[in-house]
This record gives sequence, C-alpha cells and structure tokens, in this order.
Amino acid sequence: MLEKIGYAIGKLLDAKSGIGRAGFSFGCRRGRASVLFGAWALWSCFNFTALAQTDDRNVNIGTPTGEDMVEVLDPTWGVGSWIWAGETADKQTCRFWRSFEIPPGVMVARAQLHIGVDNGYRLMLDGRELGTGSDWRSITEYEIGLLLKPGRHVLAVEGFNDNREAGMLFGLRIELADGKVIMIPSDTSWRIALADQRGWESKQVAPAHWASAVVVSKFLPRNGLWQERRPTMTVKVPVLQPVELYFWKRGWFQAILWGFIVVTVLFCLRLMARLAVQSKAQALLNIERARIARDIHDELGARLTELALEGEVIQTELPTGSAVRPKLEALCEKARAASGAMDEVVWMVNSRRDTLRDFANFACRHAQRFLASSPIRCRLDVDGDLPELVFELPMRRNLLLGVKEALNNAVKYSKAEELFLRIHCQGQTLLVVVEDNGAGFDLELADSVRNGLTSMTERMKELGGRCQIETQPGAGCRVEFQVPLPKSSSRQSSVGSEADLPLSGMRGAALVSRGGEEVTTR
Amino acid sequence: MKQFPAIPDGQAAAKHPLRVALVEDQQDTRESWRRLISSFPDFECTCTCTSAEEALRMIPEAKPDVILMDVFLPRMSGIECTAKLKAILPKTPIVMLTASDEDEILFLALESGADGYLLKRTKPADLRAALLDVMSGGAPMTSEIARHVVASFRRKISGMDPSVSLTSREEETLVLLTKGYSNKEIADHLNLSIETVRSHLKNIYTKMHVRSRAEAVAHYMTKRPG
Repeated sequence: MLEKIGYAIGKLLDAKSGIGRAGFSFGCRRGRASVLFGAWALWSCFNFTALAQTDDRNVNIGTPTGEDMVEVLDPTWGVGSWIWAGETADKQTCRFWRSFEIPPGVMVARAQLHIGVDNGYRLMLDGRELGTGSDWRSITEYEIGLLLKPGRHVLAVEGFNDNREAGMLFGLRIELADGKVIMIPSDTSWRIALADQRGWESKQVAPAHWASAVVVSKFLPRNGLWQERRPTMTVKVPVLQPVELYFWKRGWFQAILWGFIVVTVLFCLRLMARLAVQSKAQALLNIERARIARDIHDELGARLTELALEGEVIQTELPTGSAVRPKLEALCEKARAASGAMDEVVWMVNSRRDTLRDFANFACRHAQRFLASSPIRCRLDVDGDLPELVFELPMRRNLLLGVKEALNNAVKYSKAEELFLRIHCQGQTLLVVVEDNGAGFDLELADSVRNGLTSMTERMKELGGRCQIETQPGAGCRVEFQVPLPKSSSRQSSVGSEADLPLSGMRGAALVSRGGEEVTTR
Repeated sequence: MKQFPAIPDGQAAAKHPLRVALVEDQQDTRESWRRLISSFPDFECTCTCTSAEEALRMIPEAKPDVILMDVFLPRMSGIECTAKLKAILPKTPIVMLTASDEDEILFLALESGADGYLLKRTKPADLRAALLDVMSGGAPMTSEIARHVVASFRRKISGMDPSVSLTSREEETLVLLTKGYSNKEIADHLNLSIETVRSHLKNIYTKMHVRSRAEAVAHYMTKRPG
C-alpha cells in the first residue's frame, strides 16, 4: 500500500522535478528508479507519521554524533560483528537487508564501506550491484560517497555459505559535510529477507515477518569456533561513480515524450472522428444525389417522353399538309432534345454512375450520337479493362465538357472523315484523346476556337491535369486530356460482380420509377 | 436467319399488317404508343397489356409478330417477363422499351432474350425502321453493348459447352463494333456481305441467351449445393 502511494507520488515528482536528480541514478532500469524515488518522496512527505507505523528496527540507524559518538566499528578493519541468519546450513544463501537515512540538506563527504562474507557475497545499494567477493579473508573496501544523496537508502547483501560456519562482516562509515558521522555495523539491526521475495534488494521497508540477523560471533575478540577467523588484508575498490543517466532515460524527457504521444494520439482520434463524420455526410450526400437524380429522371423524364410521344400521335392524326404539323414536329423534337439533355445531367450527378467505366461508356455514346448526324465517322479506342475507379463529379463533368468541346470543334471546323475517341489508362494517369484527320488549324491564329481551347485548358488545370492540343493546317487535330486517376481503390458498393450490378440497379430503379410517389411523399 | 420471318414485301404488308403486342403499365403512354403504332400503315397493335403477368397470360394467345416491352414494370420486371415469354414463344422478337439507355440494364435485357431495344423518345420513323429491322432478323448492337458482350464471353462459366463460345469471325465483328464501326463498315472491313455481318450478330445473340441461361443454372447450383 505504502509502496503504491509512494510510486504514484514519485511519478508525479518524477515529471515535475526530475531534473533535481540529474546525473544520479539508482539503477539502470527506470521503473525501479521511479519506485525508489517515489518511495523516497513519500517518505520525505510523511516522514515520521508514516514511519511510526512501521517496525522501529527499520529506522534504527546508528547516528551517534560528535564527541559522544561510540565507535561501533572495528578501528582496524572498519566492520561490526559476524552476523548470519538464525540457522546455518551448507550451501546456504542468506539475504541481508538494511535501510538508512542521510538527513536532508546535508552532503556526504566520504562513505567507506567494508565487507567480507564467509564464503561469498553480492553487495547492492538501492538495488544497484556494487560488487561481489568470494574470500572472507580479505575485507573489501568500497568508497560510495558519490552514491549517497540525502534521503533513504537500502543496503542489501546476498551472502553465500559453502559449508560449516557462516558469517558476514560489514561496516559503513559515512562522514557528512557538517562533521557528523553515521556508522552502520553488521549487527542485529539487519534483517534477513526471504528467498522468494522478489525485489527484496530494493525494498524500502522490511516486512514485519523478516527476522533479524543474529550475531554469531564478535569480530574481535573472537569466541569458540571463530578463533581462527581473522581477515588478512583489505582490498580497495576504486571509487564508485554514480551511473550516468542519458537524457532519454530521464523523467522529464520521458514525460514530455509521453505527453507528446498522448497529444498526438488525441489529435489523430479527433481527426479520425471528423473524417468519419465527414465521410458519413458524403455518403448521405451521394445517396441524396442519387435519389434526386432518379426523381428528376423518373418524373420529369417520363413526362417529357410522353409529351413527345403524344405530339407524335396528334401529328399522325392531323390531315396531311396541315400547317400545324411542322410546328408540332419541332415541338416534339424540342421535347426529345430536352429529355436527352436531362438524361445527361442526371447521369452526371448520379452517384451510382460514378466510375471510370461509366464515364467511358457515356463519352463513347455521346460521341457516337453527336457525330451520327455529321459526315464524320466516329471510331472508339477504349481500354477493355478500365479500372472501376470512383470518378467524382467534378472530374466527370469537366472531362466530359472538354470532350464535348473538342467534338464540337471537330464537327464545326475540321471537315474530317474520321474521328478517334481514345480512352486509356497509363499508370496513374487517364488519357482521353479526341483526334481527327481533318483540316487542322494554326494554333497561333485560332481565334474562333480560342475560347473553347482556353476553357478546355482551364478545366483540366482545375482537375490537376492538362490539356494538350497538337494541330497544323492540313494535318488534323489532336486534343489530349490528361488527368491524374483518383487514388482510392475500387468502390465496394456497386462494383461487385458484373452480374450483380445491373440486376440490383435495375430493381432499385424499377422500384422507384413506379413507386415514385411513395418515395417523394415520404 | 431462318427462324425469323423474312422482310415482308410491300404487298404482303398491305394485306397482313404486322401484329404488335405492347406491354406498358402507364395508361397514357400505352395509349399513345398504341395509336402511334396503329398509325403506321403496315403495323397494327393487336394486344396491349398493363403488366408482365397480364402479358404472360394474353400474349401467347394473341401470337403477335413482335412484342414491345417496357423494361420497368411493377412487380415482375420486363426483363423477367421477356425471359418467360421467350420460353413460350421463342420465335417472336421482343423489343425492349426504355427511358434511359443504361448499358447494364440493356445488356441484361438482351441476355434474357430481347432482340433489340428502343429509347422511348425515338422518333416514329426510327421506331418503324427498328421494328422492321428486328423482324427481318437484325440484331442491333451498340459499341457499349458490344463491350459488355465481349466481357461476358471472356468470363468463364463452369461446365459451359464450347460450342457457345464465339468464333473468331464473331469476335472480330464484336471488336469492330466496340470501336464504333457500323455494320456496313464492318462488312467492308472484313470483306463480308452486310447480311453475313447481321447473321454473325444474330448468332452472338443466340449464344448470349444460351450462356445467360447456363450461367443462371450454374449460379443456382453453386448457391444450393447437393
């Protein structure tokens, strides 16, 4: 519980004041460092209130000061008594644990640590391994002053006994900048951690069920079996340096990184939500457009057709030579033309007819019909396997208007015998070419068609494409439209297999064409 | 083609006007069509039906020379009705009437057995010409429809008899059609008579019908195994 709260507070402080511990580390793994730091922060916050609840032995740090100071460490070897767990066994591992405190605001001048274990040890401070040893006859001396900052620290020693007697000698002498000395000998204030306790070496508070260490013998003078146990030398280990923490491992950097990631994710989510709303609106718009197209077609188109038909019938019933006949004929012709024009408009806005293939079909049909009344033969050259790409309204409209303009020019000026309408896909580009073998013209002098030509170019620019006109007097004319193909893949809703599409489309149309009233009144 | 009546010469037409059956659900339109067709000297509208169901009941008895069928009918569509009528009267040409020329629908109609189609806004003179053409075994086909047909024949149908695939001449004819050539131009280009081109087209139509039926069966069988 305490640890969790400590962790949480530690996280907070981590983010805010992580700089405070720059260049100082408790371990390589950040998570562990955070836990330690968090616990330390908690401890600082709740100091005695929190600690009062825990076992007294945890905070029993020997801090005799000044002249009253009792020397608890052996003056020669700098260690306390031989200590071990209550029971001694061969091939036994014994985990010693002890915590201590450097008073806040005080710098550590020196900190000498002496250790020796029969038969071997692994020494850890705040979870970081400082060193190992395997010979009790030599006492190892560590200088750990640089590792100790104000706050709580945890010492942990994993001792190993090969056979028979076992014991650990330990002494830590910390000289503070203000002249005070903290001494930690090996004595009964050490606790024995259980073997199955994970992370015992960096635990801030010892659980109550951890037993105290037992003094198996005084260091000097020795008693009983320990007679001959005497270290022969002290080995000095070079001064231990704090672990350099790279900036990307530091709290502030990671906090910023996390913040950045969170902001990015939120931003993406927002964009995605907006996109979803927008595409839904687009889909609704398409459905609505298709409905309007059908309504116009079914209502207006059918009426216009009927109008023409009735006109024809009246015409047949008039006496031949009647003066009204040509007028009626003209009327019918106009109604038919209106019906045809409306078909085109409906086709253009109908979202059910918005694929590249639909466009190609429509353009071909238009060209053939348009040229049928002229002496020009219409030839088609269309890729058989045009992709079923969605071809949006502006694209369809502008391209079709461009083609119409080109056809118009050809009929008006070219005197051609043959005209090719070519529709090809070249990679990601759609090529639509209107090519005639007629008189051609001088582009520089082409006043009469100039308007048409500029508007064609403008239209293609609008689509991000271009319009290229190649012509010379007497050498025909070739108008080439190039537009980038839409990147979107083929449409799901209407492509399907070729057999499915017409039937479903037909049924939908049939339903609406005859149930038109129902749809419009709803 | 032998299974279709030959072009009636002027005299025969005068004696026996061609009997036309009309299937159209809109009353005004139906009446207009009836009067328009009857106004042609060599045609006579002998049977008018308001729905596909009525057409299936009346037309086999009326035995007309040609049937004009609206694509969109309430309940049973004109396309379905065409397929059913073809089963009863395989030799009677059926011409679809449509308000708009959407290739998919027209292709489907042709596949189901229709022998041609007319836009509803067709001029009377063109209407008469188209009817006579169909009666004489013509098989009208635009370049868009031809494209559909080519695609349809390239699609494989399991268990399909190879005799209903296209001959090379038929394929050539279709490809030229997709390029916008007229029947006359195709005849010139392939060194054939225009009658031969027409007969090729008629054969393509027939094969298309067979294929569409086989495809329907195949579809049915894959849908319901065992």
